[in-house]
Amino acid sequence: MAPPAKPVTPFVEARGLTAAYGATRALDGLDAIIGRGEIVALLGENGSGKSTFLRVVARIVAPASGELLLDGRPLAALGRRETARRTAYLPQATELVFPIRCLDLVLQGRAPWARGFSSDSPGDRDRALAAMRACDVEGLAERDASAISGGEKRRVFLARAIAQEAELWLLDEPTAGLDPRHRLEFLELLTRVHRERETTVVLVTHEIDLASDLADRVVLLRRGRALAAGAPAEILRPDLLRRAFGVESRIETGPDGKRRIVPYAPTRL
Amino acid sequence: MRGRFAAGLAAAAGLLALSVLLGLSVGGVRLSLPDLLSGSGAAGETARLVASLRAPRVLLSALVGGCLALAGAALQALLKNPLADPFLLGTSGGAATGAALAAVAGFSPLVSPAASFAGAVVSSLAVAALARRGGRLDLQRLLLAGLIANAFFSAVLLAVFSVASGQTARTMLFWMMGSLADATLGKALALAPYAAAGLAVLLAFAARLNLFAVGEENAAALGVDVERSKRIVFLAASLLTGAAVSFAGIIGFVGLLVPHAVRSAVGNDQRVLLPVSAVAGAALLVAADAVSRAAFAPAELPVGAVTAAIGAPLFAWLLLRNP
Repeated sequence: MAPPAKPVTPFVEARGLTAAYGATRALDGLDAIIGRGEIVALLGENGSGKSTFLRVVARIVAPASGELLLDGRPLAALGRRETARRTAYLPQATELVFPIRCLDLVLQGRAPWARGFSSDSPGDRDRALAAMRACDVEGLAERDASAISGGEKRRVFLARAIAQEAELWLLDEPTAGLDPRHRLEFLELLTRVHRERETTVVLVTHEIDLASDLADRVVLLRRGRALAAGAPAEILRPDLLRRAFGVESRIETGPDGKRRIVPYAPTRL
Repeated sequence: MRGRFAAGLAAAAGLLALSVLLGLSVGGVRLSLPDLLSGSGAAGETARLVASLRAPRVLLSALVGGCLALAGAALQALLKNPLADPFLLGTSGGAATGAALAAVAGFSPLVSPAASFAGAVVSSLAVAALARRGGRLDLQRLLLAGLIANAFFSAVLLAVFSVASGQTARTMLFWMMGSLADATLGKALALAPYAAAGLAVLLAFAARLNLFAVGEENAAALGVDVERSKRIVFLAASLLTGAAVSFAGIIGFVGLLVPHAVRSAVGNDQRVLLPVSAVAGAALLVAADAVSRAAFAPAELPVGAVTAAIGAPLFAWLLLRNP
């Protein structure tokens, strides 16, 4: 069952975007459009540039050339703080060296809004606690963030994105390392808050089924470029997956009527 | 935050007051606390006189300790590494080399802070460049690069001693091991503006450093200009280290240990940690200097030996307590 086609207003637009780490080219002329209010899944093999794209949009990595527009304006023309007020980045894993309370981690989401990045006014605290309530992690507020589980950490970071009041959420492999129950719970939470807040979500994932179930649109990346982009049913096909991942796959229909893509062997050349 | 700030600062100030009393009363002539505090009668007057002679040294110790602890705390947050310290990262060694080279080249001692600062900056940049891997500072490489820098600077310093005359070499050797024996009020007053400038810059960046303490990417994604902030904090830490070294030589462990201890008491909010570390660092070094004068009086130990002797076991204990 294809999702109803929504009219798409571009919120993020990349044209000929390139980015490099030293001599390694991670993005090599990427063209992509993320529509306002969409959930877009970025799929591609390791090193295809998915995470780099998120990091460029989050301004962690500076692009080498090309155009990147946020809400119609060049990202470079927007202040860093302005960008951070509108985009929240959820890292794949954060290694915490120093102790930090979960509440303080969520309060950091208010930093782009605060004078001198010093974000713990009563207003900030109210917003942070409300966001933690929405993500069901209010009880962790006083706990040390390095002592909570991976699933809890994802929720805390999602709460932080809500507290940040960002319109665009960039999620780097949000389900990696989660057990099935925490994975499902996190995805439920993500879809719910996405719907309530009408945010735009870009998520990097290796789960083809997740992209198929959750995303309005899929962008398939290969070697720093977009190989194909469109509705999941159009893009998640054996021929395109063979080109993107070098795998053979077949389509199955589950007992629930859902379409499943099952990769079963590496493509032999 | 305000509660922790007030409590932490009050506790550190209390320690500082105690160590100042200790610093004023111990030495070649031991003063009794009642005489020192009342200042009346013949004994009181003598006590006042001796204390006024010791005061510049206590003041200089406090400033040097504050600078080193601040520099260490800022570097630890910036590099997201609890082992960062101006001594371990080779900043102190670079500063000492700068000052020693300026001295043998015949420059006036007034140039010494500038030469130390230059040495500290060169050393920080070299260590950072060595530790950079794929565009980011690698934790293990950073410590190794610091080790290499320290070895190199020791070699240069030893070469400088060999060519210096006997008396100069002895003075320099003491200075290299960390000594506050030549303290004057003038030196303390000369160091004060560097300390104040470093403190002001780091406090202005304290909230940004909180974002760095979770990671550089974290700071970038929350709107911080990472490269600019890193440069400014590195320079401020180098300035503090350079100034401290030029007046007191190489004193280890203060920058490493004080932020550690303060963090376990007040947490890792840099807006609290930095100022409390500055005061606690002042208290530690004043006390260490008092010990250096009292332990084998009338002979004096280099204060760097005292901080290392207190610091190493204390650090080992901290490591065992928080695995």
